[in-house]
Order: sequence, then structure tokens, then C-alpha cells
Amino acid sequence: MGISKDRIKFNVGGRLFETTATTLANAGRNSFFGALFDDGWNLSPQDSVIFVDRNSDCFAVLLDLLRTGDLNVPANIPERLLHREASFYGLLDHVRTARWGPFDGNRLRLSDSVKGTSPGDGTAIRAGPDGGCCVAHGSVVHVYDWMLEEHSPINLDYQRVNDVGWIDSDNIVLSACERLGRGDGGMGLFSSSSGDLRYKFQVSHENQVKSYTAGALSFSPDYEIFASCKGRSNEYGIGVWDQITGKQTDFFYESPGWSLGDADKLQWLNGKNCLLVATLFPRKDNCYISLLDFRDKNMVWSWSDIGSPMATDEKRVRDAIAMEDSNSICVVNEFEDLGFIDLRMYGGSVRWSSRSKLMKSKMPDEPCYPKLALHEGQLFSSMNDSISVFCGPDWVLTSRLRRSYGGSICDFSIGGDRLFALHSEENVFDVWETPPPPII
Amino acid sequence: MSNQKKRNFQIEAFKHRVVVDPKYADKTWQILERAIHQIYNQDASGLSFEELYRNAYNMVLHKFGEKLYTGFIVTMTAHLKEKSKLIEAAQGGSFLEELNKKWNEHNKALEMIRDILMYMDRTYIESTKKTHVHPMGLSLWRDNVVHFTKIHTRLLNTLLDLVQKERTGEVIDRGLMRNVIKMFMDLGESVYQEDFEKPFLDASSEFYKVESQEFIESCDCGDYLKKAEKRLTEEIDRVGHYLDPKSEEKITSVVEKEMIANHMQRLVHMDNSGLVYMLLHDKYEDLGRMYNLFRRVTNGLLTVRDVMTSHLREMGKQLVTDPEKSKDPVEFVQRLLDERDKYDKVISTAFGNDKTFQNALNSSFEYFINLNARSPEFISLFVDDKLRKGIKGIVDVDVEVILDKVMMLFRYLQEKDVFEKYYKQHLAKRLLSGKTVSDDAERSLIVKLKTECGYQFTSKLEGMFTDMKTSEDTMRGFYGSHPELSEGPTLIVQVLTTGSWPTQPAVPCNLPAEVSVLCEKFRSYYLGTHTGRRLTWQTNMGTADIKAVFGKGQKHELNVSTFQMCVLMLFNNADRLSYKEIEQATEIPASDLKRCLQSLACVKGKNVIKKEPMSKDIGEEDSFYVNEKFTSKFYKVKIGTVVAQKETEPEKQETRQRVEEDRKPQIEAAIVRIMKSRKILDHNNIIAEVTKQLQPRFLANPTEIKKRIEALIERDFLERDSTDRKLYRYLA
Repeated sequence: MGISKDRIKFNVGGRLFETTATTLANAGRNSFFGALFDDGWNLSPQDSVIFVDRNSDCFAVLLDLLRTGDLNVPANIPERLLHREASFYGLLDHVRTARWGPFDGNRLRLSDSVKGTSPGDGTAIRAGPDGGCCVAHGSVVHVYDWMLEEHSPINLDYQRVNDVGWIDSDNIVLSACERLGRGDGGMGLFSSSSGDLRYKFQVSHENQVKSYTAGALSFSPDYEIFASCKGRSNEYGIGVWDQITGKQTDFFYESPGWSLGDADKLQWLNGKNCLLVATLFPRKDNCYISLLDFRDKNMVWSWSDIGSPMATDEKRVRDAIAMEDSNSICVVNEFEDLGFIDLRMYGGSVRWSSRSKLMKSKMPDEPCYPKLALHEGQLFSSMNDSISVFCGPDWVLTSRLRRSYGGSICDFSIGGDRLFALHSEENVFDVWETPPPPII
Repeated sequence: MSNQKKRNFQIEAFKHRVVVDPKYADKTWQILERAIHQIYNQDASGLSFEELYRNAYNMVLHKFGEKLYTGFIVTMTAHLKEKSKLIEAAQGGSFLEELNKKWNEHNKALEMIRDILMYMDRTYIESTKKTHVHPMGLSLWRDNVVHFTKIHTRLLNTLLDLVQKERTGEVIDRGLMRNVIKMFMDLGESVYQEDFEKPFLDASSEFYKVESQEFIESCDCGDYLKKAEKRLTEEIDRVGHYLDPKSEEKITSVVEKEMIANHMQRLVHMDNSGLVYMLLHDKYEDLGRMYNLFRRVTNGLLTVRDVMTSHLREMGKQLVTDPEKSKDPVEFVQRLLDERDKYDKVISTAFGNDKTFQNALNSSFEYFINLNARSPEFISLFVDDKLRKGIKGIVDVDVEVILDKVMMLFRYLQEKDVFEKYYKQHLAKRLLSGKTVSDDAERSLIVKLKTECGYQFTSKLEGMFTDMKTSEDTMRGFYGSHPELSEGPTLIVQVLTTGSWPTQPAVPCNLPAEVSVLCEKFRSYYLGTHTGRRLTWQTNMGTADIKAVFGKGQKHELNVSTFQMCVLMLFNNADRLSYKEIEQATEIPASDLKRCLQSLACVKGKNVIKKEPMSKDIGEEDSFYVNEKFTSKFYKVKIGTVVAQKETEPEKQETRQRVEEDRKPQIEAAIVRIMKSRKILDHNNIIAEVTKQLQPRFLANPTEIKKRIEALIERDFLERDSTDRKLYRYLA
């Protein structure tokens, strides 16, 4: 008496376990356990033992996960095995949620470093929405899921990849150079799990399909894809496609002397309903930043450093990011000095906030240009082998992420509550996660 | 060993995948297929979920996902084909039951199969973007059972038959019906709409077309509406019982269209039962039903409202233009009030206090009340009647109610200033003769008029009340300063401000010496206390109480008018007087004197003097003497004056003229106000604006406005534009 009816006994691969139906209910209906206890299946009486032909060590870990919501993997269990078992029981999502907590730039821990086999420098790394990532190396993009399992690499006729981006956890857009003398190139939509090419995006000029080189990419929540495009004749500018139909819906032709087709960075600004386009040194001799409004085909804001006194390269903008909350654009120079341009004024200048010039003295052999990222009010900037985190209205430096080997960071990306940093000297990328919240 | 040496050494190609048993996939699938059969045959008790799940998992893991997926579809399809044959074989009433039973079985089986194939659902199907197990199971059911040629139309006809049966009053199995319809909904909105809802709506439309035709030929309007209402609630109930809630709007609109919209005009105009009949015979319930049904269709209420309005106008026109009915003003107004009460009740009880109906009622009343030019006078007379005596014994709250109703009628009047004129006259009479019953009621009405028309409308009326009050104080002061006057006749003077009161020509008369002495004293007292004022005696409006002793010593107190007093006082010194003598002594104008003498000598029972010859009319040659034999049951005797309560034709003309005179300055003021702000305005606009501004008081006549403009131009307030003669300019 007194023993509740909801006791359940399992024999997993020869090892006995005892738990309760309440604990197993945490698995949800769409899992092995949910189906097992459904009325349709005539489950044997409560005292008998349910046999499951699976690995018992992993079962212990997963049972603990259902009991506490915490994931504790002993060193002797390989991740792959655990993931495989979780997938059998339908508990993969539970594992993923328990692995790492909500993103916070000041609490990040290095969780993994993944080595690749591609020769040459990495071009870009992009975090996927569910914790996976993809890495562009030369003409191939390597795709990793959140378990950091590598899937089939993707390519567009093995042409040099310029940018890559996730539309959702299952779809990746890749932009590549035009194939010299053969046309093709441009942009393609790929399945992240199988690597299959699902769609090729085309540019039409006066009802004629043209070949083009696609550059920087950006996506809007209204299912639009923006890409910087460069064609043979007139196809210079920003192309717009519908994510669902794949059809070209718009094209913003660049005005003479203003580089849109060669942009380093596109950023969709949801509040302003505009697209930021930044074309920077050294791709061009000067830096151009503009905001485009596609509704009336208008450049609503622009800035350029043409004509400004330029004693040294010190004040050259190397990356830019719009911050809608503070109505400004943050820029960074070669020495990781941050600068700000007011978006409310037309033709304003950069207000540089000189932090420290200490870096100048110990430049590494192979320097990389700084990159910027913004995530929920935290500003991230990469410089050499470290990433700095800035917070607050005055952008105070609060954390620095550094790892000892791999050389300078050539690109980094935040998404799916993870930060991925790609190194340039060795083909390796780091995964930074926020640990789950403390027990108490 | 030796054999091997002889052979050439061969290196076998490395095999990528080591398949332990080449039949592995087939064997595993057979286990699963058997299980699916058992599940469909409700023989699943011996199955191990763990084993089946593991087998399905292994097939996917070993890249047999495709085989598993197609296998599941093929097996399920075969089962469903078999089931559809069983369903088809079911006869008559058991058809639906069988279908429902099999549907439930399929659902349960599908659930279990999905549980087994869960891993495939999550991985293989997800990555190949195929249809998931559950929706696949539903569409297989749809294609193999619901759309099976031998079931498809039979199922639909069975369902429609059941609905038809229920409509004709039979009891059907609603639970079964609900389950089958639910199946359509589970199969997807489009299946429900295409395979059931659309045919159902078409059949309903046909049914109600026929039925409504039948009803309209055989029923009167009230009965028809009852039947339509019943049908409507039945359909709404039906949706609640076994249809998709989204169908409610569609099926009700079918009923509304067939039963109401298509027969709307005929219903409303039905002889001896249509809307007018209902209004005339106070059929509130039917009216309410009509309102509730007609509001559901386009133009329904408009039709009802139009018919009601035209009926109201017709009825009202008859009421106000019938010369018989306007004989008695009180009766006339009471009828109007009764009609209004009635329609108020109709609108509040049957028409849900609909604003548009209230507006229609108001505009109808406004229309016909103003058809009779005497309406303002009659309404004032009605108030006069109520405030004179009618309200006696009625509690204050009821007084308020009556006054509020009168105000309602007042609001309809276009010529509010005419009403004001009459009201002033009637109020003056009430005040001066002390006939007003309740001061509170009088003031309450003034307050209502004030809120309705503004301060300026009632300022003079209020002035009249102030005069009454001041006069009381003055009288107290007068007697206070003349203590010697406590003996002898008492004089009560009401000092009226000129202008506040209806002007009446001061009719002079010679007062008896006793009174004129007092009057002189009062005059000197009053002028002594107020400087710069002038007093004129309005003897035609006064009254007097005199004590008289008749021949046999009968003592009476006679309540008479001032004129009558003057005449009677003459008989203190003479027994017999001729008409001429009286006229000479009193100097009362002939018409007033004749009326005064008539009331003294010719009213039966109250004739305190006698006349020779004894005729009804007063002649110039008549002579008069005291009726010594006068008797009365009462000590106090009131001698009335023969007065027409209602205005006579010339009086009416006169009032009318005065009203017109009073309007002139108001129109001029309005013109000047408008021109002062606009500076330049053309003729049509000025007419429009003036009319609008004066609307709360009266409807200004355009020709009169034009005359006023001319007058203002003459007086240099305005000028015509030198180029455009239609433009007027304001001259500061």
C-alpha cells in the first residue's frame, strides 16, 4: 500500500530501471514513451517489466533529463551515441533545449572547436536558427547541424562563394561568382539536411535572363531575399526575390558612382522598412553606406567618406552595422575603434570613440579586418583572435572571447543562441554557448 | 589448402555495406505488415509496441524508409478498400452506422500505426518532405471510402434525407449525424465544404423556396413570420447539434433569402395582416418578430420603416386636418400624445428601441404637426388646461411626465415663436387671475423650455414670474406704510413690466370713487419708492370681490371683473339704470361693456341684475335693475365673463400679425450676425444660413428674409456688390 500506481519498470539492454509515469509524461505525446503509454497499446500489468532493446547508459542520461530537465553526459558517452539514442526515443529536442541556455554575450563558454578539411581561407560563417551553422570555404559551403554533425557540402557549380545565409533551419541561400565565359553562377537555394539544390534565382533585365555574380545577402521577415548583384551589362544593383516562389520581384539599379552591386554587407532594417547597403574599403577606394527604400525606389539616406580628410588608413571604415534602437550606424576601423554615424541627419560625419591604441604595437602576422554583430542590445566586434562584447548606451566593453590557437578570426555569426567564430590560419571554428541557468 | 595454391590470388572488392541478412528488410516489413493487419482486425492485444517501434526504426536506420513508407500506404489502402466494401454492403439505416463504426476503427488504427512509425514520421518523412502518416491516413480514407463511387453519392443522399426528415418533424439519430459530419470536418475544410456543405445548402435553398411559396399562399403575415422564425431557430439548432459552426451564417442566409427577402414586399403589404394591420391592432409580438426577421436581410428594416412612416404620416395628417377634431384643443393634443405614446411603445417593445425608427417617428410627427397652423396654439392651450386645473390631484412625478410629453410635441413645432406668443398670453391669464395650480409645475416647464430653446426664449416668461413676486412685496410695503387702510376696501395691485407681458391696449374706465382714492394712494406710494416709472391701470384685467345684500337680506360675496364691479357699484346709488347711463358713468368701451352686462344679467342662476326687455343680447336701449330675488346655494358667487377660450378668427389674425412683426428684428439680427462674420455672401447662401440659424425658433419665410435684406441695405448695414448684384457686402 502507499506505493503509487504510476511506478514503471524498464529493462533496457539488460539493466533495470524504475521510474514513474509522471516523469515519462515529460517526454510528451510525440515520443516513444508517449506512444507506449497510449490507451491503444495494451501495456502489460504494472508489476511486469518493459523491455527496451537499447543502450542502458544513454537511457540513464535521458531518464535523468526527463526527471530534472538537466543534461549531464558522462565522459565515456560519445555525443553521437547520445544523440542517436535521443533520436530513437524522440527526445532530440529535449536534449537540444537542455544543452545550452538563452544567449548572453557576457556568459559565453567555449563548448567546441570543429576542424575542417577545406584548403584555403574561410570566407564566411553563418549561424542557423536552430543552432547549426554553415561555413563557406572557397567554392564550397560546409553545413553542420546543431549536433555539429556535418551534412553534405553545398556548392553552385563550384564557383567562388561570396555569401551564404539561412532562410530557416532547412533552407540555405548561397551566392556565388559568375562562371567566367559560361554564365551561370548567381544564387541557389539548398536543403541544409541533404545538400540538394532546390532552386536557382535568376535576374531578368528587360525580360531577358542574365548571368550575374551575387554578393552580400540579407533577408526580411516578409519573405524577401536581397542580394547585391553584378552582371555583364546593366545588372548592377540590389535584386529582390520572394523566398516562397523564388521569383525576382524587384531590382534597384545603382546610380552612377555609387556601388551597390559590389556591397560588402546588406542589412534589412525592419523598423525603418529599409535595406542598409555598405560597400567598403578595400573593395572600393572609398566607403559608401546607404539606406534604400524599395517601396518608392528611393535612397533615403547615404554616407560616404569621399572628400573627407584621410591622413592615414586609421579612419577607414572596415565594417558597419545599423542600430535601429539608437538611430545610428556603428562602424569599426582597422584598429577596432568604434565610430557612430547619426541616422537622423543627412551627411553627418563619423564620431569616433578612441578606446585604446595598444593593439597597434602587436599586430599579428596575418591580420583580419574587424567585423561587427548586434544581438539583443549587445554589440560584438572581432579583432585578431578575440571577440569583444560591448553593452549599455555608451557601449562599454564587458567581455572578451579569446581562444589560444587558430589565428585571427576572419568572420563570426550569432544565431540559435550560439556564437560561431571562424579562424583564418587554421581551418577551425569555435562554438560559444551560454550554459544553462544555475541550479539555484 | 592445396587447391587454393593453384588458383590465382584474387582481391575481392571491399563491400561498403555489410548486410547481415539480405532478406532483412523484407522480414522486418512482414512483421510490421502483420501488425498493421492485426491492428485493423482489432487483434492488437498481443503486439509489443517496443518491438514494432524498434523494427520500424531499424528499417529507417538501414535506409529502407522508402520501402516502409510505400508499404504502409499500400497496406492501409488495401484495408480501406475492403472496409469500403463492407460499408457499401450495409443496408438502409445501418449504412451510416457502419460507416461511422469503420471510421472510428480507422482512426484508432491510424493512431497506433502512427505510433509505430513515429521515427519515420520524424526523420524520413521530414527530410523527404512527404506527407506525414496521420494526414496520409486521412486522405487515404477520403479517397478510398468517402470518394468511393458506390459510397460517395449514397452517403450524401442519406445525410440530406435525414436532414429532410428532421425538417418534416421526424426524430433522427443526431449523435450519429454529428459523428459522420465530424468525419467530413476532420478530413479537411474543403472536403466538408465540397462533399457536404454545398449540396446541403443547395437542397435547403430548394426546400425553403417551395415551403415559403406554400406558406405565403395559405398563411397571413403573422403566421408566416412565426413559421419563418421557427425554421430559422431550427436551422441554428441544427448547426449547433451536428454541423460546423461556420455553416451557421451560410444556412441562415439561405433561409433569410428564401423565406424573407424573396417575400418581403408581399408580407409587409399583406391585406388585413400586414404591417399596417399590426400597427393598428397593437400586435406587438408580431411586430417584434417582423423586426427581428427583417433586420437580417438587406433593406428589410428599410421596407418596414418606409411603410410605418407613410402610415404614420397618413394617419397624422387625417388627425390634424380633421376640422371636427380640432374643435377641442385639449382633445386634439391629447390624441397626438396618445399616438406618440403608442408608437413609442411599438418602437421600444417591438423594434428594440431602434434609433432609425425613432428618427422616422420624429420626422413623421414633425411633418404632420406642422400641417395644422394652429398646432402651437393648441399645445399651449393644452398646457394651460393642465396647469389650470388638470394637474390637481396628480402627483408631481406625473406632472413631470405630462410636461415632458408636451415638450416632445413642442420640439416638433417649426414655429416655436408662435407657441411662445400664445404661451405668454395664456400664462399671463393664469398668473393674473391666480388660476395657476402649481407654481412648481409652471417653473418646471419654463426650465424645460429654457433648456430646449435657450435663455432668450424664456427671459420674458421668467420676467412675468418676477413681476408677480415683486408685486407681493410692493403690496406688503404699501399697506405697511398706510396702516389706516386696514379698514375699508382692499386694493391688490400687480405691477407688470411693459414688454414682459402680452401687450394689450389699456382700456380706460372710471373707477368708483372708493377705489380710485386707493389707486391714487398706491400710485403716489409706488412712484415715491421708484423713480422714473410710469403706471398705467389695466382695468380690463382686474378682478374684484364685493359684498352685496339683496332684497330679502340674502348676503353674498360676488367675485367679478373690474368692469363688472364698476357697473355693480353704480347700483348702490340707483335702482334702475339705462345702458346709456351705465356707459356714460363707467366709460367702458361698448364691446367690453356689452359682454360684461351680458354676464351679469343673462347667465341663468348668476344674474345679479335684471334687464328689460328680457332678451339674450344687450341692446343700446335696454335698462337694468338689481335682481332682488337673487339666490344661490353658495355664499360666494363667481360671476364669469363671457370669453371665448379659443381665439376667434380676427384674434388669430392679430396674433399672427404680431408674430410676424416680432420675427422681423430677429431675422435682421440673424442677417447682420452672419454678414458680420462672412463679410461677403451671395443671396442663396444668406437665405440658407439665416433659415438654419433661426430653425430652432421658427421657419423663416424666404421672401420675408429678402425684404429684411432690402431694409438693411436701406439702413446701410449692407450693400450690393457693384458688379455682381447677387452678392451682398457687410458695411462695418
